[in-house]
Amino acid sequence: MNKVMNRLATGLVAAAALWLAACGGSGSSVQPPPPVGNFTLASLSGTYAFMTSGEVFTANSLTATPMSRVGSFIADGKGGISGGIEDVNADGTVSPAVVINSTGSSYSINQDGRGTLILSGTSNGIPFTINFAIVLTSGSSGTSAATDGLMIDETSTTNQASTGSGNFVLQNTALFQTSAVNGEYVFDFSGLDPNAAVSIVGEFSATSGAITGGFEDANDNFALTSGPTGTGSFISDPSNPGSLASSGRGLATIAGETYAFYIVDSNRVRLISIGTGATTTPMLTGDAVAQSGVLTPSGGFAFIVAGTSGNGGVTRVGRFTANSGSVSNVLMDTNNAGIFTPTNSGQNASITLDSANPGRGTVTFKDPNLSVPFTFVFYFSSPTSGVIQEQSQSAANGLVDVADGSILAQTGTFSSSTISGAYGLNWSGLSVQNGSGFATQDEEDFLGQASLSSLNLTGTADIFQFTNGAPRTDFGLGGSITLGGDGTGSSAMRNTMTINLNGAAPINFVVYFASPQLAFFANSNNSGTQRIVAGVLKAQQ
Amino acid sequence: MLAGSLALCLSAGAQQAIPSDTQLLQTYNANREISVVGTVVKYETASAMPPMGAHVTLQTASGQVDVHLGNAKLLQASHLQLNAGDNIRIVCEPMTLGDGTYFAARIVQKGLQAVAVRNAKGFPLTPASAMTAAQKEALRGAR
Repeated sequence: MNKVMNRLATGLVAAAALWLAACGGSGSSVQPPPPVGNFTLASLSGTYAFMTSGEVFTANSLTATPMSRVGSFIADGKGGISGGIEDVNADGTVSPAVVINSTGSSYSINQDGRGTLILSGTSNGIPFTINFAIVLTSGSSGTSAATDGLMIDETSTTNQASTGSGNFVLQNTALFQTSAVNGEYVFDFSGLDPNAAVSIVGEFSATSGAITGGFEDANDNFALTSGPTGTGSFISDPSNPGSLASSGRGLATIAGETYAFYIVDSNRVRLISIGTGATTTPMLTGDAVAQSGVLTPSGGFAFIVAGTSGNGGVTRVGRFTANSGSVSNVLMDTNNAGIFTPTNSGQNASITLDSANPGRGTVTFKDPNLSVPFTFVFYFSSPTSGVIQEQSQSAANGLVDVADGSILAQTGTFSSSTISGAYGLNWSGLSVQNGSGFATQDEEDFLGQASLSSLNLTGTADIFQFTNGAPRTDFGLGGSITLGGDGTGSSAMRNTMTINLNGAAPINFVVYFASPQLAFFANSNNSGTQRIVAGVLKAQQ
Repeated sequence: MLAGSLALCLSAGAQQAIPSDTQLLQTYNANREISVVGTVVKYETASAMPPMGAHVTLQTASGQVDVHLGNAKLLQASHLQLNAGDNIRIVCEPMTLGDGTYFAARIVQKGLQAVAVRNAKGFPLTPASAMTAAQKEALRGAR
């Protein structure tokens, strides 16, 4: 207990000083601008399904532990939270159906769409409060409620410190019934099977909540299995039947694994594995997204995967052009545990579709400097979006990592005039931090809001470097984006982004735009401190 | 106290022999594991050398080698301290990353205490792997 309290207390007291130590003392001087925009408390109104993944440190735990949560809260449009519920999975230890009360819960929204969210309740007789920073990424006109936003966990209390990145989506309460899960869905679940990394991507067919079949690719601890999911179900939780009507929550069984689900609408369901009480329950979270449209990839695509290799954390962000089975104009950037490797073209590149499983396929290409190709399996939920899982194998025929993410069609034109306006940005991953008496790698979560004008960023941000025990909030964010060529990357010219945070050395990224409103990015060197982070830049629409 | 009499000590030169195409796409394989015994020259909880994480420089009978230990907090949570002059045994595999080579440790042994820092497939373990069942049960308080 003493260690726990010492750790939290140290973090609370010394966060500002530790920030300088972690990021170098010769940093930028960036002041946050006054908030500008049309967002108000009414911009957060309705029932929202949220999801975060990161780390937790509780008063009774030995050390920081990976943790994911999925839940639902009801915002009253006036700064109040009238209720909610969440399911928590801390590295396989599950706390299901934790009730969020109105008492002690609240939120705030600034004009720029940044805000705070506080969720409170009493569980097993013990009061709890969890704190989030949020950035709304829709509803910028101020005339309607936001339908989505980005968030990071910023909890730092005597009972719990937790961080993590995620997002929230407005739920359609009229569809809070299992029959809303109907049709074809693509899913991506990732996380940990205690002491091993897991990525599962796939698709299933559902009829009024009954899964009639599906197909999945599961990379569990560097071992790949591809095959049918079997049947499954979406049902009301017998232990909490009322949560379906109030929060869209129930229990799902997919490929033999038990999840808590939260219905967003008939097109999206959020899930977290909760097992059956065993301590070996995997920690998996992800969305199932309805599949529709012609699922033959064509044109330019941007993609991002993140996970772990035998070396440590790994990110790959890139793009390619698909055209009738051929793949060209490959560009990719890898951060493998702190080693940065660009792939500037792809040889022997191809894309194949799985005729037996609509939307599923494989894209492969070889870096000219390597003899072993990169391989990714994808499941498209629409002609322009899907999930992607790396399946590259080493020369010794073993999977090189456990990593997955998103793939999006590149649409629009990219210029200083189209990439303009207000944006939210979030990154997550690992950085070297100084805390607990020594430098170590730990979770880092960042959430900011910035105005982009002439490709220059000006805004405000929060960051939680978890070893410090407390987040740093409301500090200045500056920087710039440099477009390479037409911005698509198809001419082998990269987009870059430099972020300047007050008191820190510049952080450099490569950026791949899916549209002027959305981009993937990952750090491209170790400027300032060692990092393995990736994130999204998303317009506040 | 080391149970390392069976140890195979690689020469520093042996670290140079890995094909270049493994630099990006390499897999940890327990079948290629070796045991390295040496004396700690330097222990860094967050080395500037890749891969990110804790590294120990070991003086072996054949020269100095760089060993990646993963997350220093795992060793801390396991109450395993490494100091210059300690004799330790590492179960590891030589790996290539970028232009460099290193030994990826799976097990670190000092005296009678051994700590797993990677699983058998090479996944770098989190500090939570050091928790007992009772400590994990306490995580039910996490919100």
